[in-house]
Amino acid sequence: MTLGTFIEMAGIPLLLFVICMYYGLRLFIFQDISLIRGKDKGPVKDEKAYAREGGKLILLFGAATLLMMVLIFVNLYVAVGEIIVCTLILGVLWKRMNDKYGDISSD
Amino acid sequence: MVKTKQQKIKDFLINNGVIIVMFILVIYTGFTSKNFFTSNNLMNILMNMSSRLVIALGIAGCVITAGCDLSAGRMIGFGGCIAGVLLQRMDYSGKFFPDLQPVNVFAAALIVMVICAMFGTVTGFFIAYLSVPPFIATLAMMEIVYGINLIFTNATPLGGYVKNYTDVANGKFLGINYLIWIAIIVAAITWFIFNMTRHGKYMYAIGGNPQAAEVAGVPVKKTLILIYMKAAAMYGLAGFMLGAKAGGASVQLGYGYEMEAIAACTIGGVSVTGGRGKVSSAIIGVAVFELLKAALQYLGVDANAQYIAIGIVIFVAISLDIRKYIAKK
Repeated sequence: MTLGTFIEMAGIPLLLFVICMYYGLRLFIFQDISLIRGKDKGPVKDEKAYAREGGKLILLFGAATLLMMVLIFVNLYVAVGEIIVCTLILGVLWKRMNDKYGDISSD
Repeated sequence: MVKTKQQKIKDFLINNGVIIVMFILVIYTGFTSKNFFTSNNLMNILMNMSSRLVIALGIAGCVITAGCDLSAGRMIGFGGCIAGVLLQRMDYSGKFFPDLQPVNVFAAALIVMVICAMFGTVTGFFIAYLSVPPFIATLAMMEIVYGINLIFTNATPLGGYVKNYTDVANGKFLGINYLIWIAIIVAAITWFIFNMTRHGKYMYAIGGNPQAAEVAGVPVKKTLILIYMKAAAMYGLAGFMLGAKAGGASVQLGYGYEMEAIAACTIGGVSVTGGRGKVSSAIIGVAVFELLKAALQYLGVDANAQYIAIGIVIFVAISLDIRKYIAKK
């Protein structure tokens, strides 16, 4: 397999992995929630916990994209199934995290 | 505080700096290259603008609500591939589904839009009901759509389209290409939605202040889902248009178009911080962007260097937009 073929097939998951790592680590380390919430959104219940848990979830999703990148070369169906399941899990966990530490109005 | 005339001029120059510089570049190119200001070249630029405008109008809705849609490019590729499969000639040796009769072109466009809209609805649901930040939700959808498209096409490029489909790109009405007409119609419908409907007003309210909008009784969640659904339908249509123009499609179709569309919106005046932007902003942004690309080609700038130039334009445009936002605050 040439580098071109690799990039063509796995370029997007690889790019997403890098983006998720960047945002996840920044959120986790610097705890700057405006990174994902924007500057105009209202305050959250617990800023530190929101940043920590949000960062963790993004990092986990980054890991899922990395796994997808590998699975693309093994079995395409499994790769797509994996990312769909991981996205659903991310959505549910994010909702839970947001209810617990996020929007004050979500009480 | 009343601004002096000098301050006003300075603000105007800073706020519209990118457009002014590009305008000068276009004028310079026009005078140095004899074929630049010709009707043929103008038509080419308008043709290139048409699909980009449809994408930008879709993204503009998301950006106005302080969101974004990074799945646009993959959705375009998916739309192009679905249209391609539905509109391949029966006698084409590499036909994807040998027994599938080509469908009506309008029906194909509609099918593409509906399928893409379904994916957009899911994205909207994640953003509105699960509170997932738009960039993460759309990144996830980008990956899902890419994967599904890989399975759907088996990463094989599509071609051999029926004449009715390629005529969408080649045919003309009143001397103007069909693709340009499609873009005009989409722009008119979008203008109507943005300015004349309750949905449009809700959209600006959400972009301005989502909490205040919710308190004021705006159905924020439903509106967000509608915005992402509508945007995805537009990406599907853009994929259909690009497939007709190229005479083929692959999973790589539309790669990076979302960034160009976001940049075009920002250049035109759709604020990435939300609450501000018009249809004319997207039109201006796309026109400026396409003119820049054409000018760089005419000036003989290396293809790789063009990416750098476009990247600088995106960077400057977004920086100026954020400057405007900070100054306003």
